[in-house]
Amino acid sequence: MSNYYNMPKLPTENSPKVEIFVDDKAVMVPGDTNLLEALKAVGIETPHVCYHPYLPVSGNCRQCLVEQEGPRGRMLVIACYTPVSPSMKIYTPASSERVKNARKATQEFMLVNHPLDCPICDKAGECTLQENYMEAGQNESRMRPEYGKNYHGNPAHQFIDSKGQVRGGKHVDIGPRIVLDEERCVQCDRCVRFMRSIAGDEQLQLASRADHTYITTFPGEKLDHEYDLCVTDICPTGAMTAKHFRFQKRVWLLSRTPSISMDDSLGANIWIDHAEGKVWRLMPRCNPEVNRSWLSNTSRLAYQNFQKNRLPAGDIDSLKSVLAKEGKVALVAGGSCTIEDLTALKLLAEKLGERAEIFTGSFAPVLPADGIAKSGDPVANRAGMKLLGLPTGNLEELLKRAGEFSILLSVHCDLFENAEAAKTLETIPEKIALSAFDDATAKAATIPFGVNHWSEVKGTMVNCNGMLQKLSAAPTSPDSNLRPAFSVLAELAGISLSCACEAFAMAGKNAEVLSGYTYETIRSTGVMLDGVQL
Amino acid sequence: MAECVKVCTENFGKGAQDIEVYKKLGGYENISERLFNMSQFEVIDHVQRSNLRGRGGAGFPTGMKWSFVPRNSGKPVYIVVNADEGEGGTFKDHYLMMEDPHRLIEGLIIAGWALGSRSAYIYVRGEFLPCIESLNKALNQAYAAGYLGENICGTKFSFDIFVHRGAGAYICGEETALINSLEGQKGQPRLKPPFPAVSGAWKSPTCVNNVETIMALPWIFKHEPEEYAKLGTPRAGGTKVFCISGDVKNPGVYEAPLGTPMMTMINDYAGGVVGGNLKAVLPGGSSCAPLDAGECAVATMDYECLASMKTMFGSGAMIVINDTHNMAELLNVLGNFYSHESCGQCTPCREGTGLIHRILNQIVEGKGHDGDVEFMQSLSNGFGGVTICPLSVSLGGPVSSYTTKFRSDFDELIAKNPDRAKPRVQETSRPGIFW
Repeated sequence: MSNYYNMPKLPTENSPKVEIFVDDKAVMVPGDTNLLEALKAVGIETPHVCYHPYLPVSGNCRQCLVEQEGPRGRMLVIACYTPVSPSMKIYTPASSERVKNARKATQEFMLVNHPLDCPICDKAGECTLQENYMEAGQNESRMRPEYGKNYHGNPAHQFIDSKGQVRGGKHVDIGPRIVLDEERCVQCDRCVRFMRSIAGDEQLQLASRADHTYITTFPGEKLDHEYDLCVTDICPTGAMTAKHFRFQKRVWLLSRTPSISMDDSLGANIWIDHAEGKVWRLMPRCNPEVNRSWLSNTSRLAYQNFQKNRLPAGDIDSLKSVLAKEGKVALVAGGSCTIEDLTALKLLAEKLGERAEIFTGSFAPVLPADGIAKSGDPVANRAGMKLLGLPTGNLEELLKRAGEFSILLSVHCDLFENAEAAKTLETIPEKIALSAFDDATAKAATIPFGVNHWSEVKGTMVNCNGMLQKLSAAPTSPDSNLRPAFSVLAELAGISLSCACEAFAMAGKNAEVLSGYTYETIRSTGVMLDGVQL
Repeated sequence: MAECVKVCTENFGKGAQDIEVYKKLGGYENISERLFNMSQFEVIDHVQRSNLRGRGGAGFPTGMKWSFVPRNSGKPVYIVVNADEGEGGTFKDHYLMMEDPHRLIEGLIIAGWALGSRSAYIYVRGEFLPCIESLNKALNQAYAAGYLGENICGTKFSFDIFVHRGAGAYICGEETALINSLEGQKGQPRLKPPFPAVSGAWKSPTCVNNVETIMALPWIFKHEPEEYAKLGTPRAGGTKVFCISGDVKNPGVYEAPLGTPMMTMINDYAGGVVGGNLKAVLPGGSSCAPLDAGECAVATMDYECLASMKTMFGSGAMIVINDTHNMAELLNVLGNFYSHESCGQCTPCREGTGLIHRILNQIVEGKGHDGDVEFMQSLSNGFGGVTICPLSVSLGGPVSSYTTKFRSDFDELIAKNPDRAKPRVQETSRPGIFW
């Protein structure tokens, strides 16, 4: 635990380029960062365990050693803490036997007291130690069983196994969402640094010293924080595992779909990890300008309800017949509507003409931003609504003027979750709910109509900072008859859209700034739109 | 044994714990008359001319260290006295603080004036209770006499000294770990740079010095710096307080000029080897490489000579070992110590020191195997220069040197194991046989 908690400087597109010599070859690297990042920028991966680009450098794993030419000859330095300086001379294992041996030695030390129970470890397949071993090590063990192992662990949790070996604490219940395996911990202290520097709530600490060091909470306290599941992502080994995913699925059986979490207007970038048509977990997807590597527990655990309580697909003809009736129509878009959904809704409003009016928003409260990966605004696409010229949250007005309308069409909206609103809106005779879930709104509707959830659709959203981000469809729809909301709305508007890209092209007509983009030109980490901030 | 000038141990046994006695012996004389008439740079120049080198183990020139402390950084400058004497075989600071606490205080006032500091901390190992009592008593007397506190001797210079009790960790003798511990954090060394001289305690410039270094200052100011430099060797001035322990007739603290032959120290000062013939000497504390009897005969106690013999002068703690001891058993003691005292930060040290200790345990218990010694040597090579602080090298160095210089001791113990030639893994249990 170095107390010198300085964040690593990461290279950006505007970083000045400097020339350094790697293995005696001149390369141009970003000049304002550390060596590890600079080498990564030119395609040289350096194995590391404790370094994380969004955590302060602690430099304790000693895995990223490289040689640097200095005034006193070549010295071994850690790449993660060595700043890039012009014309520095660096030697990697490609040319230096000493670096190779040093990394191999560190690798060996790291595994001396590690249990090597990979076959039953939940992290196997995405474990940093495994990766480093396969890439850099693959050295044969030199240990003898007689030497024994000195497993890390809290003395209170230690036990003696059938072979007489003292073992560290297994499956320690460290908090409501996390299980700790003390033996597997390699004391990289990433979780400690995360809780201290990112979560801002120092709940974890490395106790004791030497090879009896172990991770622990304060006596009688539990690890309990809105972001505590992030420690399971950054844990390089299987020491911290999440209760919700532990022993559920082998990670190499999962497919990943990049998407955006649509429950918050920051639009945290996520991976939807799915297999066999089921979502098994959501993982943060690194985006330096949005959520970095973090994801809140609320967003992360939302997947548990993605496929529960779903609304079956309805009959679109009945919707058409209702909309054909006389009377004013209130079209209500909820927070998780994509740009495509909103565009289709706008098309429908144009078709209905004078008698249609669009309302947007949610009854869920707007909370203050937490500065990590949540803006607190439950209406994810509020900036997208503004961009398309739609109101950005005016449900209060809908309630005031509820009497005027005879048809209510809501899309992904929690209108009836609010008791007072439900009482007012009850009075509208025809209520159509396009919803993924059989929730209060769908139950109150005269025609509930099931559509795809945001995790199952292709689409775009604009986050609160004006970043245009892309959702991809995970093949996890419980019912193949379900359609995305924009497709249903477009059909009601009498326009046939074969794919989301057409809807996005339509959106370009409504909003000039979007017209320059297609799904292919939106980067996976989004593009910043000018002048769209809320 | 020639009578030598005593610098630090001058007042031993004279009751100098009391300020009146200390003043009678010439203490605090130079504070108002001489020190405060000098500028900060003159004081640092004075120390540089004295050729004083840090007495904690690394032997860094003190004047140069002081000159690295930035001026006008807008932050207070802290002086920290490293009295966390943890190195095996070292006990000089303990006696120095107990016998002559006022000399330390006077030295600190000089250092405080030189560095423009307002406060100093004495980080004392927690077990040294008599020391702490003696220091606190002396501090109270010095405050009462106006040598500490606001406006010392009527000048604008104010200076405070605090005694901080450590919790007894060896690693807290490393300056950045000491600063962490002083700040109330876990005692683990920090990444460098920044060095403490630029950003140490509470991110302010901090100068960490050994007790003996500070205690040499009053003498240097009482006499001339050149006179002090003359006492030692050309590259390191002054005398050194040696702690001689182990198989000698009179173990204890002795002050002698730098460059004294090692056999003079053992025979004249400490009364000679007892219990057997001389086998080895650890010249600078437990973490240095031992010298065998032949090397001892020619070694002199100074930085250069010992460095040329691939060992180090360290803290001047000589541990004398006679030929009744098995070096493997001694190394096992060191393995126990260093594997217990590793702070647990860097992987090689955290896991490696413990592994070496377990291997040594096997050897000492007569369960060693052929190849164990080579394995340990290879592990200790993995320590070299890869960790934040040199604790792992403190065990790695001895492992290499003990096993090369005294290999027969290890082989003798390994020979006790009838199964010593057993291969590491039985052929039949190799996974390749089955799949």
